[in-house]
Amino acid sequence: MKTNTFSYKCRLYLMFAGVSTAVFAAVVIIPFIYGLYLTFTSWDGVSKQKPFVALQNYMATFADTAYWQALGRTMIYSVIAVILVNVVAFILAYMVTSGVKGQNFFRAGFFIPNLIGGIVLGYIWKFVFNRAFVALGESFSIGFLSTSWLATTNGAMLCLIIVSVWQYAGYMMLIYVAGFMSVSSDVLEAASIDGCTDVQTIWYISVPLMVSSFVQCLFLTITRCFMVYDVNLSLTNGEPFNSSVMGAMHVYNQAFTYKNYGTGQAEALILFIICAVVGVLQVYVGKKAEVSA
Amino acid sequence: MKNRLVVMILTAATVSSLMACGGGDGDAASGGAEGTGVSITIFNSKSEVQGQFEEMAEEYSAKTGVNVEVYYSNDTVAAHLATRYSANDPYTLAMVDAKDIYSLAEDYASDLSDQEWVDKTDYEISVNDKVVGFPVCVEARGVIYNADAIEAVTGETFVPEDYTTLDAFEGLLEKLAAGGMEAPAGIMKEDWSLAAHYLAETYEQQSDVEGFISDLYAGSADLAGNEKWNSMMDTFDVLMKYNYAASSPVAAEREVTEQKLAEGDIAFMFGGNWDWSVISEYDYTENMGMMPVPQNTNDGTNGKLVGGGSKYFFIDSSDNTSEEQRQAAKDFLNWLVQDGEGNQFLTEKCNLVPAYTNISAAALDPLSVSVKKYADGNLLIDNYNYLPDDHLSVCGAFMQEYLAGKTDRTALAEKVAQYWMAATPIEH
Amino acid sequence: MDENTKAAQNKKVRHVIKMIILILLFACFIFPFVLVVINVFKVKADITSNPLALIGSHGFTLKNFPEAMKKMNFWRAFGNSALITVTSTILTILFASMTAYVIVRNKWKATGALFGMMIASMVIPFQVLMIPLVSLYGGVFGLLNHRATLIFMHVGFSLSMATFMFHGAIHTNVPLSLEEAAIIDGCTRWQTYWKIVFPLLKPTIATVAIIDAMAFWNDYLLPSLVLARKELYTIPIATQVFYGTYSTDIGLVMAALLLAMLPILILYVFLQRYIVEGVTSGAVK
Repeated sequence: MKTNTFSYKCRLYLMFAGVSTAVFAAVVIIPFIYGLYLTFTSWDGVSKQKPFVALQNYMATFADTAYWQALGRTMIYSVIAVILVNVVAFILAYMVTSGVKGQNFFRAGFFIPNLIGGIVLGYIWKFVFNRAFVALGESFSIGFLSTSWLATTNGAMLCLIIVSVWQYAGYMMLIYVAGFMSVSSDVLEAASIDGCTDVQTIWYISVPLMVSSFVQCLFLTITRCFMVYDVNLSLTNGEPFNSSVMGAMHVYNQAFTYKNYGTGQAEALILFIICAVVGVLQVYVGKKAEVSA
Repeated sequence: MKNRLVVMILTAATVSSLMACGGGDGDAASGGAEGTGVSITIFNSKSEVQGQFEEMAEEYSAKTGVNVEVYYSNDTVAAHLATRYSANDPYTLAMVDAKDIYSLAEDYASDLSDQEWVDKTDYEISVNDKVVGFPVCVEARGVIYNADAIEAVTGETFVPEDYTTLDAFEGLLEKLAAGGMEAPAGIMKEDWSLAAHYLAETYEQQSDVEGFISDLYAGSADLAGNEKWNSMMDTFDVLMKYNYAASSPVAAEREVTEQKLAEGDIAFMFGGNWDWSVISEYDYTENMGMMPVPQNTNDGTNGKLVGGGSKYFFIDSSDNTSEEQRQAAKDFLNWLVQDGEGNQFLTEKCNLVPAYTNISAAALDPLSVSVKKYADGNLLIDNYNYLPDDHLSVCGAFMQEYLAGKTDRTALAEKVAQYWMAATPIEH
Repeated sequence: MDENTKAAQNKKVRHVIKMIILILLFACFIFPFVLVVINVFKVKADITSNPLALIGSHGFTLKNFPEAMKKMNFWRAFGNSALITVTSTILTILFASMTAYVIVRNKWKATGALFGMMIASMVIPFQVLMIPLVSLYGGVFGLLNHRATLIFMHVGFSLSMATFMFHGAIHTNVPLSLEEAAIIDGCTRWQTYWKIVFPLLKPTIATVAIIDAMAFWNDYLLPSLVLARKELYTIPIATQVFYGTYSTDIGLVMAALLLAMLPILILYVFLQRYIVEGVTSGAVK
């Protein structure tokens, strides 16, 4: 059978990716295009009229200072959270693959936060920050615990970051664990015989061989942090003083609470583009590094 | 060619598995007739009565043969209904807030002008001269007090009418503080309480509300110098001074504040009769009630609560609902107002203050008793239902800043005034 | 003391330090769950007034569990959740791994474009698709309120990420030489894939299975849009009534959380072993 004819390629593509392409297009691409169209209307989200207004929503987006503030805030939050999540996850992965006793038990434990959904998780942590920590602070008179962290602007941000690290570190750990385990033990043994210390082995042997794990984890954390919504909603709900409203939450409020569906949709689109550029750039750079490693 | 066969088998298997697990629930979507009866869906947006509604639905179905299903969503009402309408799958009967009626009525609400209950209420909502909103209950805002807690400190019977002025009220707070109740007040930090309930009263208590609001939009109202604004904020300052959570006021959780009020750790909190559903979860006392926000004024507003009809049912008018379903929905509304069992459901099971003159309510909770007393005495200041959609969130943040001591009153007035000048008016 | 025992001792010390750090970190991670377990056996008044006490002043209570189970119609919701999660996960793994394979092994314009779109789609905020999705599937096709529709959408939304993960795994862990050998032996691409490639992907399959199963099990927004009938409710939709807009019944939330978490925890513990086995058996390459 000839393998470079167009019809062969078509058949191969359809055989392996045909269903995926169809489902993906039906669920993601087509609604997305329809959504794109809605950004050119002044629909309020519910009425039967969807008047065409050309670029008016995009103008409104540029004039919406609360939106740009929310985006800036999302950036700051994302940078800190992405770094912390990955550092913690990498350390965890290293520790639970280094042959300590009960490492399976630990792996399960660190992963547990992922077993519950974002909304419930936010409520539980709100309970922890507002009640448990405060109760601890009061009964042992620990000053910094005795008022809720959620009550201040920086505190609320800190809480969001803590919860994100707690939530995602175990998940990313899983990917790093797979990375550590794919580094063959021969190489590691050789390194150890050559007198490498643990740190040297990780830095010079494991890390370069784990580039694809890093690319995956970074991409996942970047996109998740940019799109944070569930935890934002149930943990802080934008409080205090709307100072913890992240991009996705602002978009949601704009579209549904303030009933400017078109503007909300346009703002979401810009959020999407920024996030896509950052994410794809990261993957591109990462994949380059993967080839050279 | 074997390959293609395998793919086809796999695809067929997938499709059939999808079909298989999809089967059986197909009829549920049509919302059509079940047996001999009709099926209707009700959207409830008062989470505290969801249990009662579900129970009632079962009994109602058994009795009338009309199959009733009650739904609740913790999403924003507007967002939730937007998704249901986009999906061409609306509720037959939806309970929404007054402002939602105005955005939905034109396209989706049935004309209920010919219904009998219209003559029995003062709170119905009309759009384009057609009655479209069925008021579910009467709710009002004011200061909730725990008389037991006050009497335990002062040793005298608490008469709320003695404390209509801020001076008298502050005197009492001082007395309570001196008597051992260090911080006798609680303030809810939630934006809906601060902006949609407290701040809104500064508009609602104006002598000409519509005029004042249009001045705000136009930027010609002098908020900082407004008498009512200052009078309400004076009271707010006093509440802040005696706030039990003064050290970290925006961390005060609603549940904690209500528990303290219920159990007498604090004596006063600004709120409404809906708060009973939370208070009653704790070790509460029956000796509670609501009083107007105390103010040093003689315009009579300090003798009235602010409130009126609250939560409205409308019946879907789109093609997705059949005439039979609409009729069944109308019957249900009539049952609530005209039938003894319906009345009992509203007042006794759900503890709602009835919005209808023919319904007597003997067994209400203490807060609702207060509200009913003021409503019957014609002592309610009307709700203003046309605040812009982002008022709650934007001005709520301003109020929180003030509560946390981050802005002073002048700056707050300035911010609120600025907000109004940029806001989009709600047509009504 | 000779070099060897010194090195051995050194190693032991480091081992102990690692263990201590792990235990501390573990305590941080598990702390909220400890609180949940403590508080789920209390009545609401005690949870609010004294969240740290082991037993509240109203005593020990089990009532949060039956109450939560009754209010959310637990077994019905459980059945729906299980059916949807299992079917969606299996389909996602099959289609995503196949797609990833064709993308990795064939650098065509079509595969490149598909992969690019998939990666980009992972950053679309779901709120953007929400209304268009229900408008199309509900408004135009009238396909809402079927579990099958939800499964279809779950697969569509999770394909990107799963393909992305399989892409990495095939790229780095499946040696091309093995495939070439199989082709020379007369296997078709299809046979090669199922006999050689797919088995080598076991660890990634287990990872994707956990991640997707979890996401499906816990997903709230999409199911709440697609399944608007009580008899179709999944666990997350059924629990929403516990956290109303204005007030949260935290005792019931906690009970529901524990009830919902157990099945997925069991799955995880089961699959975790699988990941380890898969990696070691695959390491022979």
